Amino acid sequence: MFDSVNSVQQTLQEQDYIAERGLATAIYLALRLGRPLFLEGEAGVGKTEIARVLSGALGSDLIRLQCYEGLDASNALYEWNYAAQMLHLRLLEASGASREEMQAGIFSREFLQTRPLLQAVESSVDGLRPVLLIDEIDRADEEFEAFLLELLSDFQVTIPELGTIRAGTPPVVVVTSNRTREVHDALKRRCLYYWIDYPSFEKELRIVRTKAPDVEPLLARQVTAFIQEMRELELFKSPGVAETLDWTAALVALDQRALSLQTVAETLGVILKYQDDIDMLSGDSLQALHERAIVQAQTNAALVS
Amino acid sequence: MTLAPVLPDGTFHQGGQLLHNLLLFGRMCRALGMAATPNRMIEVANALGYIDLGQRLDVYHTMRSLIVSRQRDLELFDRAFDLFWSRPVDDWVQLDMPPPVENEPRRMKFLLPPGASPLDENSDGAASPGDSLLTAVLPTWSRQEQLRYKDFSEMSQEELALAKRILEKLPQSLDFRRTRRLRPGRGARIDLRRAMRQNLRHAGEYFTLPTRTPGVKPRPLVLICDISGSMERYTRIFLHFMHTFATGMQQVESFVFSVHLTRITRQIRHKSIDRALSDVGSSVNDWGGGTRTGESLRDFNFRWSRRVLGRGAMVLVITDGWDRGNPVVLRHEMERLQRSCHRLIWLNPLLDLPRYEPLTRGARAMLPYTDDFLPLRNLDNLETVVTALQNLAKRH
Repeated sequence: MFDSVNSVQQTLQEQDYIAERGLATAIYLALRLGRPLFLEGEAGVGKTEIARVLSGALGSDLIRLQCYEGLDASNALYEWNYAAQMLHLRLLEASGASREEMQAGIFSREFLQTRPLLQAVESSVDGLRPVLLIDEIDRADEEFEAFLLELLSDFQVTIPELGTIRAGTPPVVVVTSNRTREVHDALKRRCLYYWIDYPSFEKELRIVRTKAPDVEPLLARQVTAFIQEMRELELFKSPGVAETLDWTAALVALDQRALSLQTVAETLGVILKYQDDIDMLSGDSLQALHERAIVQAQTNAALVS
Repeated sequence: MTLAPVLPDGTFHQGGQLLHNLLLFGRMCRALGMAATPNRMIEVANALGYIDLGQRLDVYHTMRSLIVSRQRDLELFDRAFDLFWSRPVDDWVQLDMPPPVENEPRRMKFLLPPGASPLDENSDGAASPGDSLLTAVLPTWSRQEQLRYKDFSEMSQEELALAKRILEKLPQSLDFRRTRRLRPGRGARIDLRRAMRQNLRHAGEYFTLPTRTPGVKPRPLVLICDISGSMERYTRIFLHFMHTFATGMQQVESFVFSVHLTRITRQIRHKSIDRALSDVGSSVNDWGGGTRTGESLRDFNFRWSRRVLGRGAMVLVITDGWDRGNPVVLRHEMERLQRSCHRLIWLNPLLDLPRYEPLTRGARAMLPYTDDFLPLRNLDNLETVVTALQNLAKRH
């Protein structure tokens, strides 16, 4: 367990995640206060990654619940295994069991299929807190949000046929949202809120160097500078850190040592996912952007090294 | 460091000013529209017990992660934090904060009493008293264009009565969509959980097979209304109309534009129409300006569409099609808008020209991307608008 914000920041770095001070503080407090961490930000800034890294750092399981519209208790919490129940019934019938025996038999533990939320509640018993990632909560509907609110407040699940299951220590909960709709205030207020912004040049360069250690230093600087310049443009979808890393990997695979205009033009599809944005960056504007990035990478070289 | 450290159990050293200051700061944040309830501030105090109070940055992030719960408050919080925790000790300070754009459109003023100790009074001399500190939080609305605010006169009794009648007639929604969440009901999918329960009494013989079916929900509605000069005559009618929708239906997002786009969802939702209109009047600053439809829609597409057009939303654009912006941009943005919503409806007040055809440059750019074109000739009556929309709702 962490004893200071510094130790959080350091441990995350050991897990190859470069976190800002603010994010480290929020994570530290979430662990200390036993509250969920609510992360918002543009797509591809590393929201989901936090949960993965956190479970690595804590040495505990990562339990992931991907949200979607219509997600209900039977997919998020638990479900009975009906096929097995039916088979079991037939067997009981053949052995001439009484009705009470049948009732008791088929709603027992062996027919219960746990889903992520129940799994998180059940596995946080012996001092080890699993990390529960509730991903893209904005995709779920309001009904599910209300259901989650209840679960997050006391971490207990009541199964009518079996009774109440309570978490020993609350799991570490990370909730992410892409803001495709506003998540209700009641849920957010229960959490520690952190907005993950696009990283600065220095931070993004560190991320690139950490995640792609074999990349040429010059190329890393140029790629980072190019992406940073690109975010200044009015694009429909600015590239996230995920795109920066994808692009770096692509350029390394193409044996590039420095960023040439031609390669940029050929690999633009790795970073821009909307045709409008690609159209906007054709010919002269791409060349101008490329030149700016090269110069920026040059000026920042002294700064970084 | 004049702060008294908070112990992990939540108690304070004798003479500590922190809790006092913290509650004052909480009050300020609350007045700015954040959810800094006293309870929440106590939690902040608890949380501060876990971190090193000598680290100003950590103190800042601790407070921020607990007090702020939405992105648009971040900037406001930052300014409030800087101002509060670095102000001089011996003076009353008047904070003249600009309103958060989407909240209360009134300017808020706070008076903070003297004597409370700032967080880092020893750290540097930059926190000197004086205007330089205050200017940092003065309104930053220094737009190039001439700012125009609108003062709506109060609604007359007849108008209010009319609004009430319309509200009664208002369809629950212009259209419905099927939800992906299933409910018990006649349908194609067998509800195994209920089937198992119900048939246990028959010792597991399946006599009945309960089913589940998708539910229906009203589609979200997005209203985008032109308030430029050419629409001036109808602005009041349409705002009234938007208010009726925003208060009478679920999930309505409202925007107005002339030179640029303003979101008025929160302001227009106020129960009292007079209050709603005066709030809208003071938070929009380009009333009766030129019309830049394309640029405004572009702003909508880039900043809002991904946040309000989910769940198969319908978009209702209200404009006369007289546009002074770039028609290429307009065509492009209309196309994008149509692609990202379920239905794009254009409601056009046909001015009062006897033979108005939508042949203006703007209209020609818009028409190809419109799913429903609603031309309305007689607009002096709000009822015509609602009737037209009712007919539209029936047709779907």
